Formats: sequence, C-alpha cells, structure tokens
Amino acid sequence: MKKKFTVFLLIFSVLLTAAGCSISPGTSEQPDDSAFSAGNSGTIIRILSGSENQELEDIISDCAAQAGVRVEMDYKGSVDIMRELQGGAEDYDAVWPASSIWVSMGDDHHLIKHSQSISITPVVFGIRQSLARDLGFTEGDVSVKDILTVIQNGQMTFCMTSATQSNSGASAYIGFLYALLGKQEGLTAQDLENEQLRTQIRDLLSGVERSSGSSDWLKDLFLNGNYDAMVNYECLIIDANQQLIARGEEPLQVIYPYDGLSIADSPLGYVDHGDSGKEDAFLAFQEQLLSPETQQAIEATGRRITASGVSEANRDVFDPDWGIDTERILSPIQMPEAGVLMDALNMYQTSFKKPSLNIYCLDFSGSMSGEGEEQLKEAMSQILIQENAAENFLQANEGEVNIVIIFNSDVVDVFTAADDSDTALQTLYDQISACSPGGGTDIYAAAAEAYRLAAGYDLSEYTPAVILMTDGQSRNNHHTFQDAVQEYGSDIPVFSITFGDADPSQLEELADETDARVFDGTKDLTEAFRSVKGYN
Amino acid sequence: MKKKIIGLVLLILVMAAVAIIYFLQGSRPRISTVDGYTGGEKIGFLEDEEVRSILEERYGLDVDYARAGSLDMMTADMDGMDYLFPSSTIAEEYYEDLYGSPDQSEIILNTPIVLYTHQIVLDAFEKQGLITTDGTASYIDMAGLVELIQKGTSWADIGLSELYGNISVDTTDPSSSNSGNMFAALLANVLNRGTTLTAENLPSILPQLQDIFGKLGYMETSSSDLFSQFLRMGVGAKPIIAGYESQMIEYAALYPDEYDAIRDDVVMLYPTPTVWSTHVLIALDDNGRQLITGLLDEDIQNIAWQKHGFRTGNYSSISDSSSLKADGVAPSITQVTQVPSYDVMKVIIEQLK
Repeated sequence: MKKKFTVFLLIFSVLLTAAGCSISPGTSEQPDDSAFSAGNSGTIIRILSGSENQELEDIISDCAAQAGVRVEMDYKGSVDIMRELQGGAEDYDAVWPASSIWVSMGDDHHLIKHSQSISITPVVFGIRQSLARDLGFTEGDVSVKDILTVIQNGQMTFCMTSATQSNSGASAYIGFLYALLGKQEGLTAQDLENEQLRTQIRDLLSGVERSSGSSDWLKDLFLNGNYDAMVNYECLIIDANQQLIARGEEPLQVIYPYDGLSIADSPLGYVDHGDSGKEDAFLAFQEQLLSPETQQAIEATGRRITASGVSEANRDVFDPDWGIDTERILSPIQMPEAGVLMDALNMYQTSFKKPSLNIYCLDFSGSMSGEGEEQLKEAMSQILIQENAAENFLQANEGEVNIVIIFNSDVVDVFTAADDSDTALQTLYDQISACSPGGGTDIYAAAAEAYRLAAGYDLSEYTPAVILMTDGQSRNNHHTFQDAVQEYGSDIPVFSITFGDADPSQLEELADETDARVFDGTKDLTEAFRSVKGYN
Repeated sequence: MKKKIIGLVLLILVMAAVAIIYFLQGSRPRISTVDGYTGGEKIGFLEDEEVRSILEERYGLDVDYARAGSLDMMTADMDGMDYLFPSSTIAEEYYEDLYGSPDQSEIILNTPIVLYTHQIVLDAFEKQGLITTDGTASYIDMAGLVELIQKGTSWADIGLSELYGNISVDTTDPSSSNSGNMFAALLANVLNRGTTLTAENLPSILPQLQDIFGKLGYMETSSSDLFSQFLRMGVGAKPIIAGYESQMIEYAALYPDEYDAIRDDVVMLYPTPTVWSTHVLIALDDNGRQLITGLLDEDIQNIAWQKHGFRTGNYSSISDSSSLKADGVAPSITQVTQVPSYDVMKVIIEQLK
C-alpha cells in the first residue's frame, strides 16, 4: 500500500513539475539561444553536433516530440567537438560528431556513455559530371593519386572543409597524405617530416579554392558559387545534386577513391554530468532515432543505415547515374594513431594549407565603450596571440597576412603585421589594445578599404577573407562598398560578426553578395571569432 | 503576474510532495549507491534490470559506473569511487604496484579473447589452411595468421581485392584498454612459439610486437566501441577485430532480431591458443566489498553467462552453450596460454605507447 502511495505521489509530482514548467515561464531556465531546438516540454537535452546533422532537423523534431524531451542543438566542426569534450563539455548533455574517432580522442574525462552510431556515410569527391567524364573518372576505379594529378595539372580545383575544424576535411587530408607517401598504413611522425611530401601537399592544398569550417556550409557555398568539385559526405553530395537537378543544372559525379576513402559513423553519445533524469531523457530520444521508422526516414536523406546496401524503399535516393554505388564494400583508409594525427593537423594549420590573407575590420564606434571594447580585445588576444590560438588549431600559417582596420564612421587606423611571426602578431594585438572607441559607424567604408588593401596582393597565392565585426547599424552607404567591388573586381568573402545591436540584415546582404556568412557574436564574441577563423 | 502565482503555488505543492516521498522512503531499507570505473564490455551486464534488482533487493546496492579502460582507470580520479572493475589480473597487479594491496579483490567473470570477422574473410582464411572446426565452433591458427601479418600480406593477396590494405587485426589501444592489452599478450605468446613470454625472451619479441602494432594506426580505447563499429560499418571498415567471447553472446541474447540480420555474415573465431580475460573487482571501500558479495550471487552469475556471455565460477569451467542464441560458441576453452607476468606486460604496455 505504502509503495502504491509513493508511486502515486511521484506521478503527481512529475505531472505538477511538467505543468509548472509550461505555464510559468518566469521560473523556467535560461533563455534558449541554441542554433536549433525541438520539442516543447520535458527534460532539456543540449546536443553539440556536427553541421551535417542540420539536414535531419525535421526528423530530430519528431523524435524529440515522441520521446517527450526538448532537444537543443548547437553546431560545430567535429574537431571542435573533440576539444569541447577535452574541456569537460559543461554546457552539453550529448555530443554528435561526424565520426567516433573524435569522441574517443576527446573523452579524456571518461564522460561519454551510450554512444551509438546513428547513420553512416562515406567521405567522397563530388566532381561536376561533365568534367569527371572528360577526366576519365566515370569509368573504373579512381585513386586519390589520379585526382591529385589532375589538380596538379591545373585541370581541376576543389573546395574542402578545414582539416583542423571538420571531420570531412581531416579525413580527406589524411587520405591525401597516405596517397602522396604511397603508403597504406601506419603513418608516422617521421613521414610528416619528409620534404617531398611537404612540397607535394602544399602544392595540392593550393588547389583548394575555398575552405570552410563546416561540411554543410561547404555544400551551400558550392551551390552558390561556380566550382569544379568538393570533398564532402556522400549524403551532402546527394543533397547538393537534388538541388542542382531542381535548378536544371548538371549534378556531381560521386567518386570513391579506393586509396583515400573514409567513413563517418555519426555517433550520438551521452555526456554524463551526473544527472540521471537527463540520462533517461537522452536514452528515450536516442531510442527514437534508432527506431526502424526513423532509420528509414534517415536513409531517405541519403545517409546509409547499414554497411550492406540500401533498402528497397530508398533505392531511388542513391542514384547510380551520379556514380553512387551502394553495392561496393566501403573499405576506408586507416586513421593514424592519435599523436601522429594531432601532429598532422597542426602541420596542416601552420605550414601546409594555403596562406590566409585576413583583413579584420573592427568597430571602435562610441557604443563599443566598456564591455564591448573589453570583449573585442579579449577575442583578438585569443586569435592573435599564438599561444592562445594553438589551443584551437587557429595558429597563423606560413606566409599568412594579417591586417586590421579600425573604423567608426570612417577608417580610423590600419595596422599590418610585419610577417607571420609570433612577435609580429603580438605587436598587432598591442596596437589594437591601445585603441579607444568613439564616433559613429560605417561598415561599408571599412569593407571598401579592405577590398582596396587586398588588391595589393596576388590573391591566387592566398585564401583571402574580410572579417568584419560591428555592434551597430550603419548609415546606408552601401554604394561605397559596391564601388570598391566594381573597382577591384574580386570576390573576397566578407564574413561578419554581430555584436550588441548590430543590424544583421545589412550584414546578411554583404555576406550574400560575397558568398560568406554572418556569425552571431552576441553570446560569445571570442567563440564567434574562432568560428570565422576556422573558415580561413 | 497571475501565472507567476500559479507557478509558485505549484512549486510549493511539488516540494511538499517531494518531502512526503522522502519521509516515506526513510522508513525503507537504505539503498547505497556504489560508483566506480568499469570497462565498456561489462556495461550491458551492469545495466541489466534483473542484475540491478537482485543487487537492490538482496544487497541494498544501486550500481553506477563511469566507463574507463582497464589500465586507464588505475590512474583515473578515484575521488568518490567505491570500486574498480578492470578486465584482467594485470590491471589488478598494476593497482598493487601503484597503491599496494587493495581492501579486497575477487574474480567475478571470465571470458576468452576471440577474433570477430566476416564470412568472406573466413572463406579466404580457410583457403589458406588456417581454420579448423569442432562442432559449430571455428578455430584459427594464430601462428599462421601472425605470419601473414608479419610478411605484409595484402587482402588482395589472399583473394580479397574488395578490401584495401594489408591483413591486420584491429584492436583497442593496448596501453589503455584491456582487450588490446590481452591481444598483445596473446601475440607475445604466439611469437614466443606458443609459450608464455618471459623476461628473458622479451628483447627478441618486443620489436616484432612493435612492428605489428605500429602498423595499426589509430586504435579505439574501448572494446565495446570497437565491437559496435565492427557490427555497424561492415567488412570493409573492420575486416577482423580482437574482442571478448562475451560480446557476441551478449549481443545475440539482448538483440535477437538484429543478430538474426547479421548471423550469416559475422563469425566468431577462437584463436589457437588464446588467453583468458579475467574480470576482477577491486573494492576501494566498504560499498565496494558489498558489491563483490552481490555480484557473486548465484543468480547473478547465471545471468552473466546466459545473457552477457561471461563464463563464471571455476576458471576453466565448462558451460552449457546449447541454450545460447549465439552460433559457434565453444563448449569449453581448452587451448589457453597464461598471460605473461605483470613485469613483462608492463614493459610491453610501456613500449607500445
């Protein structure tokens, strides 16, 4: 009898708690500022996920509703997710990177439980079909070596994500290293010192037309631009092809290089911070994702749910006319051991990838006084002081150029780092640090000045980007910038970071015109600068 | 404003309800929560509802855990932990080496190291003359397999051109996880002509071990992760892995439908010889000691075999395998070599880092 009463009370109190949450927003937790959220009530599960899962948002919503939980997603590259885990992942209840290697490398604190693969998809090359045909890539097996040859001959350029931020970029990069070394296994630290390899990989990465911090955005970039090829997940190439076909354009041919293939197994793991209510909620949500109905729906988005083929119902999604081969055994390359992998990623960042040309436009208008100014200077110290930057694989690379434009309603000052050395970047930071805010705001004058300065460099040698941070609305001087684009005729992306009362619509417009994107710096300005740096 | 008042009233009601429950529970036998580190392969066992309810009802224990490799856990933060549940006696000796004799430690479960592979690989090995069968169980000649690996034989060389690269066995990291560690012990014995490696022969065997492991690249840190990747990602990704016999028995018992879908493809191979993985519970305090008593409960030991595949009781026990869902389980494990001593394994672990 006693037991029954306890159960009754428990149910009663749970109902009350649930009701309490839904009708008294005054007592609810912090406001939801995540990138995506689903489900209205129930325990909140905060998931840090790779951007490739953005495509699954509808499915995630359904699963959250069925499990009676509220899911809040933030998106980051897989390598960043590994670092978040290494730091304890305090702000998250679950992680969902592209591949389990980042979970096992990041789980220093033994926080991960119940890790399960939700879907699998290989990392492949997608090449414009007519070009793939001309290059002879539509018949027979293609190796990474074959692809490298056409890149070295200037017959093809490609886009890939940054190897130090995102799983697809890292996987492809490791595949390149193996192929260039002519090795099949056991990449070592000595291999990375090989001079011939270093020259070849630099050469190869100079063919990277655009880079990005995330796979999903790379796909969007590809669709908005005019590029030959991209390295991305099979599922995102399928998505891109569906959009290309809808626009009446030619699709991409999927190439599975036999000596450079890797597989993303999309593990969703619980981060144990000792809250058993969260754990139960997580398991309920995960069970929904793994239910046969949901797995079918996930397969319909172009992700595979078993290693052996595709179900009859979703066969049409995996179109063999695009070179998609669901019968082939996916035999991936071996990832190097953890220490070598970290070395390889560091070298990518500091000496192999194409040098960046960063032009920072920093808003020092009057409204930035106080906290804004402090946060901005803190953010720049994280990016420019190399000791800090190394923690996030954001060190300056060999030959990198860094320019800072301080602006308000006019360009106030321009500082250029003497070279890529630690001391030169420290000096650049000190110069920023000595500035004080004042005056109005005009982002267009600053962006125009950035374009003017960039014109002084041979842009084919660099990955250029304008990184514009502002906290206010500008006078509408859009034409100043358009004149600069006209005059200097380049297509340097203008990435923006919003802060305070910044008007995102003006920044979105700039981003659209230059194939870039806007980052929200209102929550965490340093994090926003880090993300944008990941794109360059 | 009105909503806020309603919210406040509800909150008070909830607190009252919680207080009543707390009061009622106070009169029941006290349940102690025991927390500790365990290897991933025993999580299914520790989460088993039947096991949990026996522990709770008969012993007043509510078991929680954090997952860690058998060797990693010895140097992990033990603050607030009641037990360590590694998967080998080597790990226990490592503990003794670091901290001296434990409060109490007891062997709870045993399982031999096996290899998991796929049908097409089994067929190719059969053609190489590496496979023998006894009833439904298949055995692989380890000396022959090691020779293929040492010679750098590619999959294509034995007729499997669908698979990229050279023949190798994926394992967990021997310096952090037990299944990898036990597999290294097994390889060491095989390289030592099938007898337990001693300190005397170590210098000649070590370079060969380093060579084999050096080619493996990234190694997972948990045997349960490696096993689920093996099941999930197909023959191309993981042609052969080293694991515990218990893993497939448990998978088949707990997920019969999923097992049916793969049973024609996945194969369990008993290495000849093999080594035992001995799951020892090290008690760090009184709660840990209680847990040892609880886990040795006869009913729990029976569940451990039937549902989770751990051989229990007598070290070389012969357990009835006919009632198991999994195919190809050997009735008894006879061809066993003893794991090298802790001093030898310590050097191996150190040198394979």
